[in-house]
Amino acid sequence: MLRVEHLTKVYPNGTVALKDVSFEVPDGEFLVVIGLSGSGKSTLLRCINRLIDPTEGKIFLDDQEITSANSTELRHIRRKIGMIFQQFNLVKRSTVLTNTLNGRLGYANPFLSLLGIWPQADKDMAMAALNRVGIADKAKNRADALSGGQQQRVGISRALMQEPRIILADEPVASLDPVLAHSILQYLEQMNKTDRVTVICSLHFLDLVHRYGTHVIGLKDGMKVFEGAPSEIDRARFKAIYGEEAQEVRATALE
Amino acid sequence: MTLKNKSIIAALLSLIIPGAGQLYKKAYKRAGALFLLTASAFVTVLWYQHKEWWFAAILIWLWVVLDAYQFPKNSITVLPILLWLVMAYGIGWQVTEMDPTAIFRNQERASIILKPMLRPDFTRPRTESLTSYVDIQVPCSPTPPLAERTNGNGIKMSVSPNCANLNEYVTLNVTGFWPEYPATMEWHSPIGAKSIHEEFQINPDGNGTLLFQVKPIVNIAAPDQTLPQMHRIVVIQSKPLGGIDISETGGHILRGIYETLSVALLATLIGAILAIPFSFLAARNLMSSNPIMRIIYVLTRTVLNIVRSVESLIMAIIFVVIVGLGTFPGMLAITLHTIAALGKLYSEVIEGIDSGPIEAIRATGANWLQVVRYGVIPQIIPSFMALTIYRWDINVRSSTIIGFVGGGGIGFYLYQWILLQDYRSVSASFISIAIVVMLLDFFSARLREQIR
Ligand SMILES: Nc1ncnc2c1ncn2[C@@H]1O[C@H](COP(=O)(O)OP(=O)(O)OP(=O)(O)O)[C@@H](O)[C@H]1O
Ligand SMILES: [Mg+2]
Repeated sequence: MLRVEHLTKVYPNGTVALKDVSFEVPDGEFLVVIGLSGSGKSTLLRCINRLIDPTEGKIFLDDQEITSANSTELRHIRRKIGMIFQQFNLVKRSTVLTNTLNGRLGYANPFLSLLGIWPQADKDMAMAALNRVGIADKAKNRADALSGGQQQRVGISRALMQEPRIILADEPVASLDPVLAHSILQYLEQMNKTDRVTVICSLHFLDLVHRYGTHVIGLKDGMKVFEGAPSEIDRARFKAIYGEEAQEVRATALE
Repeated sequence: MTLKNKSIIAALLSLIIPGAGQLYKKAYKRAGALFLLTASAFVTVLWYQHKEWWFAAILIWLWVVLDAYQFPKNSITVLPILLWLVMAYGIGWQVTEMDPTAIFRNQERASIILKPMLRPDFTRPRTESLTSYVDIQVPCSPTPPLAERTNGNGIKMSVSPNCANLNEYVTLNVTGFWPEYPATMEWHSPIGAKSIHEEFQINPDGNGTLLFQVKPIVNIAAPDQTLPQMHRIVVIQSKPLGGIDISETGGHILRGIYETLSVALLATLIGAILAIPFSFLAARNLMSSNPIMRIIYVLTRTVLNIVRSVESLIMAIIFVVIVGLGTFPGMLAITLHTIAALGKLYSEVIEGIDSGPIEAIRATGANWLQVVRYGVIPQIIPSFMALTIYRWDINVRSSTIIGFVGGGGIGFYLYQWILLQDYRSVSASFISIAIVVMLLDFFSARLREQIR
């Protein structure tokens, strides 16, 4: 269970990205965060694993407070929280295998990992993760030699290596075409259903929200303006989140 | 005041001080520009004392007066600028004493230099040689030892008489040398100094005879000229073996190039390592979190820029003065320049780092060192290596030149040969340098391609 209490983030330049946001995420939920560009989705996700330090508010994982953890505790918390990015954020010049192994750094022997030495068990695990997302044959390729969809699968296998309890996915499919979007989200859904991993995912397309989400949070100008089941998002609610002129765009319309 | 009156005042003003009229008409930028144009024209003519260009400066001034009158009606601005340029180029031509025909006029001198250039002194015919010696007493004692010797391979040498006083003539007889090849006699005094040096012929039987005078010079360093001492007569005979060997110059060139390459390699290596800490301090993205860091950033940048702008040749001159001639000052100069140049280039690589992967690796729970090892280093190392190899390339070239000011290496030899007008050696070193640079170019390009 992840609990967010009165979270506020003010950037050094004065931008208020989050304003008093509170919610709870029970284990095994597929929580979708929606909202306009600039509404604070990325800021919210990055506050959860403290890539960004919140200005105010508390975040708890079970009974442990993430927001007050020291650096060692924080690293132990982070390795249980996988993260997937819109721009994939792979180390382009490293191989697919190395990028996947990077997900294991939180568990690895600090000294040996600096020398680039990995236990066979980790390598086997990495190959299994790559196998699971269907790109084991690319293990020796450089990451930048892969297509966007393949790169995002490396991103997923990197997160798998963490044996995570929670996956944070920041617009994981915004740079991909609709067909690929479904295949990537299906991996997340599979992790959510079979491995009981909690998923917190920001998305732009409403049909994807309906298809994959079990619970939805809507952000507007850093404030939580909606929380409920995906089916509850009707036209009125949609306009409240996205503004009066907004038109619903369906990813599937392109298929 | 009518526009016409105003224009007349403006023209008069510009006649006194060029641009003043335009100022009066409130065209401030135009006034400043025209004043600078006219003033610089006059200063140039005055400074270089080329009186024939006065007319250009005066014409420019007159145009400024006219413009003051006409403004704001546009006059053709190209005119004074064109005049100014013609004047500048004209004076420039005279100052540099351009004389293109000089290149073709002195054919005789050109051929003195260019003809030996066509025969680079890099190799010589391969030879083998025979050497033997015999000792002789100078000056004579009452009982001189026999001046005769047979060495292991059957060469027999003898001198008659058995001893010699200064200025006397002696006869050297040798047998057992290669028939019909010349031989050289060298006189070695007891302290090893070579004094007399004569050539003689060996006959078809392998024998030879040489009559020569024992010149006073053989004893010049002896503390007591009257004390009998043993001197040595050495005979050397060499014959071509067919094939070629590296000549003395060739040896110097190889040594020089080896020195140059090592200087470049060491300077690049040390420079690259020392450049790394500076590059971190000079990377904006790392140094912008607080004012103190920003000051360090600006300072580092400035120092790197200043050091980089000093030609390594000039640094070499300074280091030669401080630490003396040799490869060391050259290496110091190139190292310093490399630190500055690579520090700047490295810092640009660091500034170009993608923060995304770093964020992603931090998110896995990696510690700081692991983030650097897996997130930062893979992003910068290939570029660092490519830049370093490129720099090595540059450093080989500059360490060649640095020899000219006493920095050692091939450049040092080359400079000596130019002074001695030994153009065959000059040509040989030109060719060797060209080959080395070409090879290096090729391999460094290949290597850099591999890294990407
Ligand atoms: N590092 C930063 N410094 C200052 N302001 C920032 C920073 N990062 C984000 N912001 C601002 O905070 C607000 C929320 O940004 P955030 O990236 O969280 O939005 P988002 O919902 O993820 O948008 P998008 O859909 O475009 O990714 C925006 O107004 C943004 O300009
Ligand atoms: Mg975002």
